[in-house]
Amino acid sequence: MKKTVDVSIPLGPMHPCWKEPVRLKCETAGERVLHTEVELGYMKKGIERIMRGRPWQEVMFLAERVCGICSVVHNMVFIEAMELISDIAVPPRAACLRVVANELDRIASHLIANFSYCYTIEHETLAMYLLNTRETVLDNLERLTGSRINTAYMIPGGVRFDLLPEDAATMLADLAKVEEELKRYVRIFETGPLIGLRSRGIGYMSREDAIRAHTVGPTARASGVEDCDLRLRHPTYRALGFEQVTRTEGDNFARVMLRFQEVFQSIDLIRKCVDTLPAGHIRGGGLCRAGEVSYSGEAPRGELTYTIKTDDFGRVLDIAIRTPSIMNIEACAHYMVVNATSIADVTSTFISSDPCIACNER
Amino acid sequence: MSILQSIKNAVRSRSIHVSYIDVGSCNGCDIEVLACLAPRYDIEQYGIYVHNNPREADVLLVIGSVTPQWEDKLRNIWEKIPAPKAAIAIGNCPISGCVYARKGSLTTPPVKNYIPIAAEVPGCPPRPTEILSAILSVAPLIFKDYEEKQS
Repeated sequence: MKKTVDVSIPLGPMHPCWKEPVRLKCETAGERVLHTEVELGYMKKGIERIMRGRPWQEVMFLAERVCGICSVVHNMVFIEAMELISDIAVPPRAACLRVVANELDRIASHLIANFSYCYTIEHETLAMYLLNTRETVLDNLERLTGSRINTAYMIPGGVRFDLLPEDAATMLADLAKVEEELKRYVRIFETGPLIGLRSRGIGYMSREDAIRAHTVGPTARASGVEDCDLRLRHPTYRALGFEQVTRTEGDNFARVMLRFQEVFQSIDLIRKCVDTLPAGHIRGGGLCRAGEVSYSGEAPRGELTYTIKTDDFGRVLDIAIRTPSIMNIEACAHYMVVNATSIADVTSTFISSDPCIACNER
Repeated sequence: MSILQSIKNAVRSRSIHVSYIDVGSCNGCDIEVLACLAPRYDIEQYGIYVHNNPREADVLLVIGSVTPQWEDKLRNIWEKIPAPKAAIAIGNCPISGCVYARKGSLTTPPVKNYIPIAAEVPGCPPRPTEILSAILSVAPLIFKDYEEKQS
């Protein structure tokens, strides 16, 4: 069948809905969007090229500047890969504190993703509520690590700062407040009729398509893909009894709701960690040695892989980073926005897959 | 100073339309600019309105060291903004390139080689309050007596 395209509409690279520059080319027939193409390359900085040949002490700071939103997990995966190479053990207290920092970062990241979605479907009230809640979470991250965004909290063999008892008490009180507020916001999102019209059944991706497109993270879990959370394989998370959240609807609504559910789960994980925080040192020490390893961890957007090769002095000879968003963005273009009803659904569907362009292009 | 000009000065200092553009950063600064929208900082109580349309903007927030794709587009976007206008560099990246100004990098900082920068807010990333105070202190200075300076 011959495809009749009326007009090709570019969205971006500068667009009110995008946080970062990316370009979508939508081929339309009337109001209907037949086909979408993603054009990347506006943020390519060549960070892996900068990393090569530098000592791990420098690469550690470069790694968390791959992405500002999920900087803690980039730090965590890089450091855990270095520990795997050099066979460095982590004290149990430090392992728990890593989970606390990582989950606080995950809450902040999920909240900003849901903020973006609500902003895109023009529900500004809920968006602003979520953004304000995120500030409370970032306050706690700052109290723990000393910085809001680029924390550099983890180092081989431990973490930099201890969690003080009074900070722990404040954190638990703040998280209780966040949980209470979020319950209300989730109710607003779940029961809002206009939100439902813009979200339910829009951008549907079936489980088979999700597997074929190799989607990862919340996008895959919202389509019902089981066993795709790498926290299930992380020893500290396993000890905490982590279980994966899965939804089966596979539409925009499911992806946003899944992120809300994961926020509640992260709050529970932090509570468990703080309540059962083992006593002892937070830094074990150790020397980084030569070796080669490929290590994956679960970022807020999905599977994040670092492949590192080091020499005897701990210098990074070669490094390759695979970030989660690239699969989700392609899945979004090929499966979610095919035959979309209007151009407004393209922006909201694209944002619902939580694209992180800085991660993607590095 | 004419009465018309003084009215314009008063109005312009309380009505600043902001557009932000990321020309290659780690997006840490993007989300700090977004955080300014939050009710805690409440950017709109100062009359600052954030939207991403350069044709309606007064102030352009530039984030990031310049990647090859943006070299010509950055100038085009700057030309689209109606005068009087000001550009503010947010973060270390547009000032010096931060961690990206190393061997092997594809970026070509600083941003002031491409467009005139009125103010610089260093930090990796700067706090939302710092971004807010930079916009509030720079914009009224640049827009003051604009018509009289022209004639």
